[in-house]
Amino acid sequence: MIKRCLRCSICKWIPQLQIKSQKYASICPSIDIFNFHAYSGGGRIIIALALEMGRLKPSQELMDIVYKCTECGGCAIACKFLNTLEPLEIIIKLREKLVSLGYGPMPKQQQYIEYIKSKNNPYNEAHEKRLDWLPNDIKIDSNAKVLYFVGCTSSYRRKEIAVATARVMNAANYPFKILGENEYCCGSPILRTGDKSSFITQLNKNLDIIEKEGIKTVVFSCAGCYNTFKVDYALERDYNFEIIHTTELFNELLDSGKFKLTNKVPLTVTYHDPCHLGRNSEPYEEWDGDTLEMMPLISLNIPEKPKRCGKYGIYESPRALLNKIPGLSLAEMERIKEYSYCCGAGGGVKSAFPEFALETAKIRIEEAEDTGAEVITSACPFCSTNLKDGISKRGSNLKFYDISEILLMAIGSPKRSFKETSMRAI
Amino acid sequence: MVLEKDIFKEFEDIVGLGNIDDNEVITNVYAYNWCMEIFNYMEGKEPIPFSNVPKAVILPSTTEEVQKIVILCNKYEIVFKAQSTGLGPWNQPSVDNSIILDLRRMNRIIKIDEKNLYAVIEPYVSGAQLQSEIMKNGLNCHMPGAGPQVSPLASATSMNGPGFTSPSTGYSARNVLAVEWVLPNGEILSLGSSGLKSNPDWFHGDGPGPSLRGIMRGWAGTKSGLGIFTKVAVKLFPYPCSTEFNVKGSSANYDFNIPDFMKLYVMDCGNFKKLENVMLNVEEEEISFMCSYLSSFAVMAIFSNSIESLMDKISLGQLKAPLVVLIAARTEQEFGYKQKVMDFVLKKFKIKNIIGEIYTPNPIFFAEALRSNLGLHGFIATGGFQSSKGVADTAAVCLRSTKSNILVKQEFIKKGVIANDFGEGTWMTSYESGHYFHMESPTMFDQTKVSSVKGMAEYMEKSNQLDLLKHLGAPFFVEGTRMHELFGPYMSNYHIWLRKIKETFDPNNISDSGFYISPQNKQN
Repeated sequence: MIKRCLRCSICKWIPQLQIKSQKYASICPSIDIFNFHAYSGGGRIIIALALEMGRLKPSQELMDIVYKCTECGGCAIACKFLNTLEPLEIIIKLREKLVSLGYGPMPKQQQYIEYIKSKNNPYNEAHEKRLDWLPNDIKIDSNAKVLYFVGCTSSYRRKEIAVATARVMNAANYPFKILGENEYCCGSPILRTGDKSSFITQLNKNLDIIEKEGIKTVVFSCAGCYNTFKVDYALERDYNFEIIHTTELFNELLDSGKFKLTNKVPLTVTYHDPCHLGRNSEPYEEWDGDTLEMMPLISLNIPEKPKRCGKYGIYESPRALLNKIPGLSLAEMERIKEYSYCCGAGGGVKSAFPEFALETAKIRIEEAEDTGAEVITSACPFCSTNLKDGISKRGSNLKFYDISEILLMAIGSPKRSFKETSMRAI
Repeated sequence: MVLEKDIFKEFEDIVGLGNIDDNEVITNVYAYNWCMEIFNYMEGKEPIPFSNVPKAVILPSTTEEVQKIVILCNKYEIVFKAQSTGLGPWNQPSVDNSIILDLRRMNRIIKIDEKNLYAVIEPYVSGAQLQSEIMKNGLNCHMPGAGPQVSPLASATSMNGPGFTSPSTGYSARNVLAVEWVLPNGEILSLGSSGLKSNPDWFHGDGPGPSLRGIMRGWAGTKSGLGIFTKVAVKLFPYPCSTEFNVKGSSANYDFNIPDFMKLYVMDCGNFKKLENVMLNVEEEEISFMCSYLSSFAVMAIFSNSIESLMDKISLGQLKAPLVVLIAARTEQEFGYKQKVMDFVLKKFKIKNIIGEIYTPNPIFFAEALRSNLGLHGFIATGGFQSSKGVADTAAVCLRSTKSNILVKQEFIKKGVIANDFGEGTWMTSYESGHYFHMESPTMFDQTKVSSVKGMAEYMEKSNQLDLLKHLGAPFFVEGTRMHELFGPYMSNYHIWLRKIKETFDPNNISDSGFYISPQNKQN
């Protein structure tokens, strides 16, 4: 596959048929910031080929280029409209190869991997403080078969998301439990750097405890954890519980009348699709077919091998939620759904290359501003952190709220105004 | 090989820190390109997809920076190669002592002149980007068959640029107006009306004085062999239908709201003579947005987004000499008129439109036609694809060229080195409502198999030579000194004149002549 790149540059753009303006035509933060072709999906395929052919050897410069990628997968979506190349998977394999050869991950990434190994979170926070986000008035049902997997970022950095998520579930009388000190990093930050063996350790720790607890459903407010369980865990080990993201769950609860949205939230809001909840949350479909050579040089997969193009990402439920909120107006950005532009934080970039992450966030914030929205929302604590940083760095007037926070504003008692609700400690 | 530190610093001072790189990772990536393995083999080298490795890659952001870089290249006798979006071997350096100018940072749309129907663009504006902006004014641009992701500037100044919409949007070489051109010695030449002393503007590409457009690009462009083009004005056209462009659903199976006044015709003409007559008749009426002859295999391909879905369309594979016509209109009356004309043509030639009868395409086909994305379907079957031959002439000559190629192609199909399109894999389109016609012979190969790469190279050489033997004109992939010297003696000794141009403008051969022609006194 690495011999088939056409060097057509399609990987640098959103799908050609979706381009609506010159300004928002690009898909790849890495090429947008660093410009040299090596920083594109296609460029990294060429690097993989050059390594394979012995034209290049691992080096600091090579590492730098391979790791200055958010692994957002936008390149793959653009490429696979007509091609069968897998730029994202080649980048992932390239990182795994570098790790196996004793190169990657990058030093900052190596550091947080050590923190995960020793403290179960990448932030070097004490494991016993994992529950610090939890206010006393939130109801936890220790007998529940539903688990809220909070994740490291919401536990330590974006506590407001964990709180809002828990409050919405309480408002819907939806019983759930948490693992508390038995919850460990899902391993996503490790996996994205190419250190697969350390990732497997995290996977086993989490699956072992969840299965031991007899959990039937795991709820995620973190797109990264959700994606890792749904897609990456499933590739390595079978498990027998259902997983669901809060945007899906809240929609179901709303539609079944478990809670109501009574407060008006008079905001114009734009929604940022997290890569991990959108295109990359599409599971790999098993393909057990045959490849038949129909004629010389032309082979067919029978049945047709499914292309993972982001079609089955979670796009509609967050939008449906926002559209159900009284008074709220949803203004879409140009780059949405499977061709959404990355926030800039993923793939280990936020820690290893914080300036790159920030510059990317600024691009996305500008796109959000151009919709005329007052608020940008998303459904991922890691996007939340980076987009907030982008707002601050850009000096933007935009506000960021996680979708659960906005939902909570709409749940507030009818007597309480939107303003009071939004100012409350959610 | 890298640049000497002092020289690197001089380049860096021009473009700023971070905009030049001589690391081997960067330079090796820029040494790669699609089909390079074929051209390497043709030149007696190992059939790998890497060319000579440049010493550095530099990213200028203005014409002034480009000029300074070129002057510095002359000072130190470093060969330069410029590229825009970078598709194809023509972007590759032909010598080791070279640098690549990646014009990616020059990506501005300078001007859209709605009234006079032209846009001024820099090298890294893609076709889709330009189209998305001018659609807001109800306008359209020409995009080459290479797709909407490539640079209209590169196509207009340096390549041929036929496209699927050529009946209504001409082709790149014909659409170029005024040009800003950094000559191989660093001098800036404002071509055409942009060079006027008073009220310079971009509306015209010639005069006063003798036309320099022929020198600038001629038949097939110089592929960065005669300087660097930093701005170009290209002709615009009325958008053929409603500009509402609503692509729905998810990749790779998008859906599309087909504009009200569009209709597709695929007609089985049965034989090449009838095809010629039908095509001439349709084009005489000046009604088509697209009008192409494609092999039946290629017809299957343009309606498919995978090899598996292509094979589902076996019914289309039975077509003999199929003609694909797309009509589009902005009003009901215009649409009605065009449909009546097509009805007349169908009746006159006793042929049927199979669309809606034997086959109904997915609506996304219409979006791809409007965005000029159909050429990229050529890669679906084997992943590798390249054209040989290439004629711009009458429909009769184009079809003669098509027919002459079938036996040659079948010879290589039998060897199993190129894919089987029954030998008929040719694309022919009208230019400018049948003013004249274009033909080329796209061929599918597998770039991962050395035998296929070598076979493809041998086939291309033989296919191109047919044009000499059968007096069919100059194929547009005759490039580089060796090929020009082979074809020149049969064609007015054009290579001598081409070389004189090169010697005059670039006596030191600083502008990479690998895909152009080298001056006699200093071979590349």
